[in-house]
Amino acid sequence: MVTLTQLLQKKFGYSSFRKGQQEIIEDLLRGYDVLAMLPTGGGKSLCYQLPAYLLPGSVLIISPLVSLMEDQVRQLRERGEKRAIAFNSFLETREKWRALEQLDQFRFIYVSPEMLQSERLLIALTNTPISLFVVDEAHCISQWGYDFRPDFLKLGEIRRQLGSPPCLALTATAPPEVMNDIIDILQLSPLRCHIHSVDRPNIAIKVEKLSSLSEKVDRLLDYVKRLQGPGIIYFSSRQWTETMARQLQQEGIERVAYYHAGMDAEQRMLVQQQFLRGQLDIVCCTAAFGMGVNKENIRFVLHFHMPGQMEAYLQEIGRAGRDGEKSIAILLYTNGDDGMIQSLMEAELPDDAQVKQLCENLLYGASRDDVEQYMDMCLFTDVQKRIFTYFLEKEGVFSSNRPLAKQEIDRLYGKVTKNIELRRQWKRKKLKEMEKWIFRRSCRREAIVQAFGQTLTDKPEQCCDCCGLSLDGYLRTNEEKHPTRFLGWRVELQRIFF
Amino acid sequence: MKDGYAAFLLSFCLHRFNGERSLAAVYHLFSGKKSAQTLQDSKWFQLAPFFGVWKDITFSEIEAAAQSLFENGLIVPVQNRAYILTEKGKRWLDEQLQRTFFPTHLNGWRYHDLEKWFWYRLSLLVQTLSNLLHHTSFEPIHRHEKTLMWVKRYLLSQRRTVRTLAETLYGELYRLLDDVSEEEATVFTLRLTSYARIGWTNEQIASYLQKDRVCVQFQFQNVLHYMMASAEADRSSILYELMHGLSLPIPLTLSAQKTYEWLLRGKPLGEIARLRRLKRSTIEDHVVEIAANIPQFSIAPFVHEKKAAKIIETARKLKTRKLKRIRDAIGDDVSYFEIRLVLAKEGEMW
Repeated sequence: MVTLTQLLQKKFGYSSFRKGQQEIIEDLLRGYDVLAMLPTGGGKSLCYQLPAYLLPGSVLIISPLVSLMEDQVRQLRERGEKRAIAFNSFLETREKWRALEQLDQFRFIYVSPEMLQSERLLIALTNTPISLFVVDEAHCISQWGYDFRPDFLKLGEIRRQLGSPPCLALTATAPPEVMNDIIDILQLSPLRCHIHSVDRPNIAIKVEKLSSLSEKVDRLLDYVKRLQGPGIIYFSSRQWTETMARQLQQEGIERVAYYHAGMDAEQRMLVQQQFLRGQLDIVCCTAAFGMGVNKENIRFVLHFHMPGQMEAYLQEIGRAGRDGEKSIAILLYTNGDDGMIQSLMEAELPDDAQVKQLCENLLYGASRDDVEQYMDMCLFTDVQKRIFTYFLEKEGVFSSNRPLAKQEIDRLYGKVTKNIELRRQWKRKKLKEMEKWIFRRSCRREAIVQAFGQTLTDKPEQCCDCCGLSLDGYLRTNEEKHPTRFLGWRVELQRIFF
Repeated sequence: MKDGYAAFLLSFCLHRFNGERSLAAVYHLFSGKKSAQTLQDSKWFQLAPFFGVWKDITFSEIEAAAQSLFENGLIVPVQNRAYILTEKGKRWLDEQLQRTFFPTHLNGWRYHDLEKWFWYRLSLLVQTLSNLLHHTSFEPIHRHEKTLMWVKRYLLSQRRTVRTLAETLYGELYRLLDDVSEEEATVFTLRLTSYARIGWTNEQIASYLQKDRVCVQFQFQNVLHYMMASAEADRSSILYELMHGLSLPIPLTLSAQKTYEWLLRGKPLGEIARLRRLKRSTIEDHVVEIAANIPQFSIAPFVHEKKAAKIIETARKLKTRKLKRIRDAIGDDVSYFEIRLVLAKEGEMW
């Protein structure tokens, strides 16, 4: 019999496992459900790709990130694995039908959660022996996660329909409350947890308080000029990303661009790919930037505005130093920032007038389409829509086959209002936690790790501003020049095609 | 001036509108609003090339540009947020027209719906070919599913080799870029993505060339529309193939289209109004819209020939499109509907 290590060598060309991988694989092979929290870039995919060669049936992977899904299938194919397919909106209809007819031929079946709405796919999956049910980015299942996706809530039920195969739930960042949701909804049992430290020892952490906005801007400019790039700077609003990107350019920092969800798809893609390919050094962005941006050598992450909660902060700074080299995260704070963030966050909640209007509209009809139309009419944001749809679904509004009666509406209004209030309180609590962390005087790394219910075992030499930190190792050493090699359109056009 | 190129374009439009339309009309024109009013306006005032060519413009951008023109004494308000050019403004516009880039190939009327998809296909095809030739892997620069599928199928259906296809496309692009100015060719080439370089955004190109971003945007669009027009004229080109299946817009509002269908079946206006449960005046608006946009549509059933001639003569004499002035000059036996209909049909009479 081949050992796991031999199989690893044979199929993947690695001579040894990375930290935690072997234990997870062994538990899965023993038939346990596994909840694994591994740092991003920690080799999560191997944990289900290797068992696929030892299990009789197919491995089903549910992932919300279409681009990562595509990447993985491509990598598998490059490795000679032809029996991999990704069901997402990119797949052509004809190809889709063909694949569905012989689904059990595939060793790896990647599916986006939206695609699981398809009756045909579900039926085909039911008729396919599934040996392992993998949920990637499992924190999306929790409405208390920073990236809640209601589609994920159905995964527990779907898993049951597929005969409850062993389940591997993967995430990079999940505090205890979110982990409990994952375990509950996916019904993980018997369960083994493999929780690896959320700590990223190669990222130094610094918080700097400034007395005014103009000082903060100056400080930002100063850092960007001195720090070794490439880097990401997070802002709370679209307007800010544009303004600061332009200001940085005026200061002579050329390879800067901004990124936010208000740009059209093409511009966003251009900026993202330019950054990945090293055509840009700095991206000024909102939280919209980062998901699926797999760049190894990001050297710094600056926060011009604080995020609304620790999970988001950890996720954002975690984009630095994926290559393991030393990197730094700096958060700039001025008095009043928290108030501004709070009003931004609460603006995401529907206000009373919106809720009232929506509930009243339910008098006339309660289908999903109707409700979506009403939400557009009431000018709900995407986040508001997601939360609201989830709530109405939970209350069984969509399964009602008649318009609601007045009394039911009143009851619903009461519940919705209460639910919104709960969310508001929760958001405030999260923000308070973040704020407390900013004003903390002892080790910041320890506090981050504690927020995730863990303890810190080792402190790196360059830990955080509270423990003492020197910027020396993070400053730009050589003045890199990137002259634009554009020699006129004729030369450039030729270079494209020849 | 602060709002450089936007202000220049705005002054051009305001000049054409001659104080007879408000700033909102300029906004609707650029953003490509498919209302009867906007569709007619773009014909009447000969602004059809600008229809729908700046879809994401905001009204406040137009207001800012207008403010800047006003502060420089180039325009003055007349009424209802309408402006006319001052003498200084007219001189300035003339100068600009001679000095600045003007998008002569722009054809928003024909291409406003297509340009994006044509560009998506072209730029993805270029990226794909460039990477295939250099044996490099890449992430598609567009995520648009239909475009991805189209390019994939296009490549699979080729009898030509990748090399030949690339050389042919290079030849076509080179010839067309050689026709436009050096600067436009530069802008267009920099927007393309290759194996070695991810395309630049308009803003990045603008800062590299030290130009106004809006100007760069229109230079790019001008080249794109030029390519589409050339493609339509040469059915053997790759560019023509790239237009395949992209449908040209029918220049009618949806509601007007329905009315048109009833008219083709010979229903009188009153009955169409009743059938569609619309006001008669709404149906009249549709007829005006149809007259303005469908060349073969005859207005003879609605206006007597002699009356039509009188209206045209009066409009020419008074050099106006204002309905009231024309009606005052002719007299009560002509209706506003008749005047509008004739003006719509005669479209470009100056």
